[in-house]
Amino acid sequence: MAKGSKVTKGSGDGPGGDNIRLAEVGQALFIKALGVGVVALGISAFLGMNANDGWNRFSHSYLVAFVWVMTIGAGALWWVTIQNIVNSHWSTVIRRVGELIAANAPVLALLALPVVLPLIMGNPVMYLWADADLMHKSHELANKIGYLNTTFFAIRFVVYFGFWTLLSRFFLKRSLGQDKETPEVAAKTVVTMRRLAGPAMIGFAITITFCAIDLIMALDPKWFSTMFGVYYFASCVQAINASLALSLMWLQSKGRLTSSVTVHHFHDLGKMVFAFTIFWAYIGFSQFMLLWYANVPEETLWFKVRFANSWGTMAWVLVFGHFVIPFFGLLSRHVKRNKKSLAFWCIWQLVMIYVDMYWLVMPTLGVDEVPFALIDITCWIGVFALFIAGVAFRAKSLDLVAKNDPRLPDSLAFENI
Amino acid sequence: MSDEHKPAVKAGPAPVHGLLAEYDTPSQILHAAREIRKAGFTKWDTYTPFAVHGIDDAMGIKMTILPWFTLCAGLIGLGTAITLQWWTNAFDYPWLISGKPFWSIPANVPIMFELTVLLSAITTLVGMLMLNNLPHPSHPLDQVRRFARVTDDKFFLMIEASDPKYDEVETRELLQSTHPHAIETVLEDRVTEEKMPSGLVYGLIIVAVASVVPFALAAKARYTKNATPRIHLIQDMDSQPKYKAQRANSFFADGHADRPEIDGTVAVGDSRDDDKFYKGKDGDTWSRTFPSQIALNDATMERGRQRFGIYCTPCHGQVGVGDGMVAKRADSLAQGTWIPPTNMTQEYLRQMPVGELFNSISNGVRNMPGYAAQIKTEDRWAIIMYVRALQRSRSGSVTDLPPDARASLK
Repeated sequence: MAKGSKVTKGSGDGPGGDNIRLAEVGQALFIKALGVGVVALGISAFLGMNANDGWNRFSHSYLVAFVWVMTIGAGALWWVTIQNIVNSHWSTVIRRVGELIAANAPVLALLALPVVLPLIMGNPVMYLWADADLMHKSHELANKIGYLNTTFFAIRFVVYFGFWTLLSRFFLKRSLGQDKETPEVAAKTVVTMRRLAGPAMIGFAITITFCAIDLIMALDPKWFSTMFGVYYFASCVQAINASLALSLMWLQSKGRLTSSVTVHHFHDLGKMVFAFTIFWAYIGFSQFMLLWYANVPEETLWFKVRFANSWGTMAWVLVFGHFVIPFFGLLSRHVKRNKKSLAFWCIWQLVMIYVDMYWLVMPTLGVDEVPFALIDITCWIGVFALFIAGVAFRAKSLDLVAKNDPRLPDSLAFENI
Repeated sequence: MSDEHKPAVKAGPAPVHGLLAEYDTPSQILHAAREIRKAGFTKWDTYTPFAVHGIDDAMGIKMTILPWFTLCAGLIGLGTAITLQWWTNAFDYPWLISGKPFWSIPANVPIMFELTVLLSAITTLVGMLMLNNLPHPSHPLDQVRRFARVTDDKFFLMIEASDPKYDEVETRELLQSTHPHAIETVLEDRVTEEKMPSGLVYGLIIVAVASVVPFALAAKARYTKNATPRIHLIQDMDSQPKYKAQRANSFFADGHADRPEIDGTVAVGDSRDDDKFYKGKDGDTWSRTFPSQIALNDATMERGRQRFGIYCTPCHGQVGVGDGMVAKRADSLAQGTWIPPTNMTQEYLRQMPVGELFNSISNGVRNMPGYAAQIKTEDRWAIIMYVRALQRSRSGSVTDLPPDARASLK
């Protein structure tokens, strides 16, 4: 965590006198992130062009980076929705940070364009199904043309990101409006948000499922798994809880929310990271076991590629690195209540989600060994930095706490036994 | 609760169990708990309608060791599941399922997961009850009227008289200083029967005995023989309205379900008047030559080899010496009732007329059943041809080979 900025206590207008505006810190973050992002993507584009493979390598690296960032962005929207559905009191003080990350959905849509635009224009470099000849030649693929065609894909893309943009806008707008309302109206806003959150969650479940299918599963147009959407969703939930914990630690290091966000809130975020460590393994294994047991060639081929050579090593890294080791690492409450150890495991799991995405996407490049290279790092830095820039740009001039929410006192006094 | 406070008889005034203070709010009880803890009391407790946040800290309650129970139980569950599945399916009785390996981790994971969760959950529940001294059938506080509101809206704190620091007057003053709504002296319970209600005792005994019954029945069934048929709950198509061969049937005059052939008729294809082909007989003796319908060529030999492989090898083995899979399994069981299949390369069988061999295959011999119903007549002859070849193969000499092939053996 960055040091040097002065910790100001008791002078802000947040609960307990906390400073709840990023202001110049947010502006500085925005400028820095934007600069880093543009430079990193520039280098990536240069590297991608030099590969001279019709942007195939670049597209794969970029897609890995993008679907990784999307776990945070889409996860944030899920997180905000679920807090509203269950009328969560504990999380009120940190909900605004989640809302701000979720509201970055339009930036997410823009970041998707380098992958999505060539596809919509019919370039089959990465998504083979864009090649109409190929689709018509194969009997099994010909039956999928109704779904896997560029027109319908373009419509779906607009629906996913349009829905997420509208939904996150709704939550942020209502929540910001609440800051200026009288207690009676603020209490009614809580109900308004909760009413919409239920149906919204159904919409989210459908959109995230099909988005994961379209962006990752469709890389191999012949392969299919009915659990793939849930598998991606497991990473989303883990990513946003880890990201929230890390964001709040960063904010506190900058002197924001220092007294209102306590060890109890971090403990709960840690519990969610822990819980979804198990959930990811549960879903991942369920998906594997069904395909393994049935042993149908068109289903198992996907795993055969990913269990061969160093891809197989990577699969074992996921089993132990994404589940067994962090399971025992995050098991103790003391680990989750200590900011440093919690930060360690949050970063660990975010790295593992990247490894997972890499393992899902990159084998379709058709290489036998893990081709990890500089372009993967620059793509990741670029996409992530631009995502952060988007969040910082919106967040810098807004309150970081829903200070008028009637549940805020409960959240501030929240104790986690 | 210490036993020395229990009176020997139920007469006289009940001794004091402790002092009970009643509070109106969670913050009051938190404050009181901190004060009592500061004063150094050890035998005291708080009672609240719901889990009051921070009460553990205020009372100085240590972290529970329950998570360690859960962790251990989970690991034991995991270990049990692994051992159980390895022992049953990979070691003690290897059983091929869906072509997967006997010891197959993916197939075992669901059971590992379930036993881990099951043992963790049960241990957590039971451990929680034990650590809380539950179940607790009676308590002196049950006799205090105002204490009933602990399940509603009041908060209580009681210091037991058995605490070394307890003093009738000073403790009351201390409690008074925490501003309770009321203070009340709690007496030992003299009302509740000390004996368990007899209904409960008998009920528990009946439940305990009844729970043994299924196990006893299962044990009895394992070690006794019973001539009566099983209770047949689900009939499916087990009893069908039809008559089987050799059964009685009152409908027909002769009382048989079988219908005899009508005199003077032969069913189509049943005219088997060629004794040599159908019975292996030349007049009254067993035929020593193959019937004319059988072509003695490679095609018949190959047919015989196939039929032999299908029908004969399970008992007689691939080369007819009586070492088939069934025989091996029977030998390994060593039950003493098994008559081993004949070694077909023995001298007396080499000399036996083909007609007699044909008769053995068709109608059976000793414990070997007849195969006339399964193997067509020509195929039975083909098998005999192959058996003859097997017999020759076991006693061949170098002179059986064509002269030019003999050199290759040297």
